[in-house]
Amino acid sequence: MPEVAAFSGQRLAGVDDVRRINPLVPVQAQITRAITETHDTKTLYVVGLDGKVPFSLNPGQVAMLSLLGVGEGMFSGVDAGDHLEFSIKKVGALTGALHEVEPGQIVGLRGPYGNGFPLEFCRGKNLLFVAGGIGLAPLRSLVRFCIKHRSDFGGIHLVYGARTPGDLAFKGEIAGEWVAVEDFAISLTVDQGDRDWQHHVGFVPNLLRELKPAPDNTVCLVCGPPAMIKNSIVVLEELGFAAEEVLTTLEMRMKCGIGQCGRCNIGSCYVCLDGPVFRLADLKRYSSEY
Amino acid sequence: MMFLEKGDLHFVLDVLAGLGKLYVPAESNGITRFVPYGGEKTQVWLQTNTAISPKEILFPATETLYRYETGRGKETVKPVADHHAPLILFGIRSCDLQAITCLDDVFLDGEFVDELYRERRETATIIALSCAKAGPHCFCQSMGLDPLAHRQSDLQMYDYDQYYGLEANSDRGRLLLETLEKHDLLSVSGRENPVPALEFALEVETEGITEKLTGMFEHPLWEEVASKCLNCGICTYLCPACHCFDISEKLDNAHCGSKIRCWDSCMFSGYTRMAGGHNPRPGKRERVRERFMHKLCYFPQRYGKYLCTGCGRCLAKCPVGLEITKIMELVKEVENDA
Repeated sequence: MPEVAAFSGQRLAGVDDVRRINPLVPVQAQITRAITETHDTKTLYVVGLDGKVPFSLNPGQVAMLSLLGVGEGMFSGVDAGDHLEFSIKKVGALTGALHEVEPGQIVGLRGPYGNGFPLEFCRGKNLLFVAGGIGLAPLRSLVRFCIKHRSDFGGIHLVYGARTPGDLAFKGEIAGEWVAVEDFAISLTVDQGDRDWQHHVGFVPNLLRELKPAPDNTVCLVCGPPAMIKNSIVVLEELGFAAEEVLTTLEMRMKCGIGQCGRCNIGSCYVCLDGPVFRLADLKRYSSEY
Repeated sequence: MMFLEKGDLHFVLDVLAGLGKLYVPAESNGITRFVPYGGEKTQVWLQTNTAISPKEILFPATETLYRYETGRGKETVKPVADHHAPLILFGIRSCDLQAITCLDDVFLDGEFVDELYRERRETATIIALSCAKAGPHCFCQSMGLDPLAHRQSDLQMYDYDQYYGLEANSDRGRLLLETLEKHDLLSVSGRENPVPALEFALEVETEGITEKLTGMFEHPLWEEVASKCLNCGICTYLCPACHCFDISEKLDNAHCGSKIRCWDSCMFSGYTRMAGGHNPRPGKRERVRERFMHKLCYFPQRYGKYLCTGCGRCLAKCPVGLEITKIMELVKEVENDA
């Protein structure tokens, strides 16, 4: 039918001939290592099927990790050069299944997503990291970046808390590498200590109030459970930190990761697309809905 | 302008059906919606807009994203190969076409393009139809639309007494007109009676609402209006512009399955509930606020247009009368000391 041909021709003229890949379809990747961090947290090393890093992740960026038949979830990752690392706390069906994954197993991966930390903004300044529980995982990418480019940053101070000593993640890395880094102060706290615990006891916001870190030329990066973030922000403001100098990285339930499925918005921003890193000044303008 | 006698409409539809996959508004199983045209047996419905919007043609309520096989050491992922016949959407009203432009913003206009939506949208020819009268729940005019025409249609049809006036807005529309002319279905003579402006029973003032809402996140109004909401989600399912979706698994057996996408609703508690139990929108207040804020504040801030087009479907079907027009009036009236 010539009319159909004419009509189809008209249609095809405007269509990009190259069939692009749907961004919702993951690429396949492989687990090379699974490290037990705590009783409920593991770090997975992920490479592409060719053995190389699947894509690069800037500090603070995130990616969708999936298991066929189980589900898909957004995790913050660390780009270790030859592989990506995802530190995952077991909280539900997908994370439970990811904890059962063994080296050699195939997972789905798509990304990189999100804005990441504003590295230029942080450069030359002191950095105060405030983390609670698994909230250290997204901050760890920036901590590692700062260690690698140590001379680009001022003093580093990590205030890290968890429920119990057994809930502190990355203990080996903190005690092995981070304590040895020049001008890197580490303050650890737990809600409830045990007989061997020699650091602080109490919630992170209270420890901040006690330590009184100075706000001068300092960027503060906060991540943890929402209540910890909100209470820490109150203390940071008391200490004189400007809303422009306080950054947090948020998580929300996500399905698409590309600003379309709708659920991870904070005001008119999507955490997946415009975050996950936000300045406190911006969050104040949008809402506290996280 | 070209003219078509209303009595010849079914000839036109037959011609269009030969050019692509034609969808028309029709009564089907007691409900009006857009259905594939099946010749004379299709009961074309042109009196009013349809109960169910044409959104489902371009953005289906459920669709497969990819299929997969796992097990025995191999994993395969097969994206759905979807070669569509060109779509022709006949009889789209201004409100629903405006909603399609909202979907375009979400699925086509950013860094990431939704390929399944793009394939359908880019092949779709949209034939818009002017409204002859405003229904009891219609308020498109208040949302800044013209119920008689929408410029983003390929072909605009105007409803004159015995004729339809046809005007092309795109190359695709002009090609359609040429095709219909070749079939001797159009004439240059007809009556271009000026259509009287539609009488709207429902009018609402939208001026400045986005700006006002920006400062109303913590306003007590939300608690008040949310109390009667049942969180049933009918508003979001009938909305021609609501685009939120869920992605989940459909297992065929232990080794095969598909990843499917289906419409989701901000009215449901599971929509934002995270693994581990934390929910940033735990109650009706937060969810109702999100829906109205998204439509009237967040979406305009992000994309420069309302995510409500005044089609009135949510007004017509809300079981407790929680109407967006009343919300807009309340927002306008209340003191904003937040």
